[in-house]
Amino acid sequence: MSTTEDHKEAGVYELGYLVLPSVLADNIAQVVSTIVSTIEKAGGKTLDSESPFLEGLAYSMSKSVGARKYVVNEAYIGWMKFEAEPGMIEEIKLKVEKMEEILRVLLIKSPRETLFTFAQAEEARRAREETSALPVDAEVSPEVAPIEPVIE
Amino acid sequence: MKKSDYLKEHKIDYVDYKDVDTLKKFLTPHSRIQSKKRSGISSKSQRAISLAIKRARFMGFLPYITR
Repeated sequence: MSTTEDHKEAGVYELGYLVLPSVLADNIAQVVSTIVSTIEKAGGKTLDSESPFLEGLAYSMSKSVGARKYVVNEAYIGWMKFEAEPGMIEEIKLKVEKMEEILRVLLIKSPRETLFTFAQAEEARRAREETSALPVDAEVSPEVAPIEPVIE
Repeated sequence: MKKSDYLKEHKIDYVDYKDVDTLKKFLTPHSRIQSKKRSGISSKSQRAISLAIKRARFMGFLPYITR
């Protein structure tokens, strides 16, 4: 059976990132374009991505910017898949980590084809909820044969 | 009785750290990673699952602990 290990392809990486919720929604596109330009400057090429959306986190995280400390319970979640030289990965990671708006970064090797997106997962979840919300009457209950009274 | 391999059954050959719904199936009520004995999946899949859970925890998609 093939698993994560077999799907790693040389030179294809995925960058998952969290953006501070204090960043205005209008400025998110700017943050994303900064990440894209960082990758492109390092000779990389973006393959696929999903735009960040605001979502609650499983635990609170903190980030210090200068004298300010941000403690957050939600963040903009985004990811990007790109192709780059293995030697340039460290540089890309350091540059993205240093961005003020970025809360957390995860850079991993990844398969070339996109096998999961948040949009697909949301759609599947909604479909599951719809099927589970069907009225109880729709279920066919097995007919119980009436018990005949025993006459002695 | 041998437990069925969830990943094999659902034809999941790449475990994504963002796929929280799948990963949650391999957590205990305290959010600890289920043992291989309990999850019933192959050693290779168990390693892939635990790596994906650790990545999801780092990104705040899953908790480290639940009391």
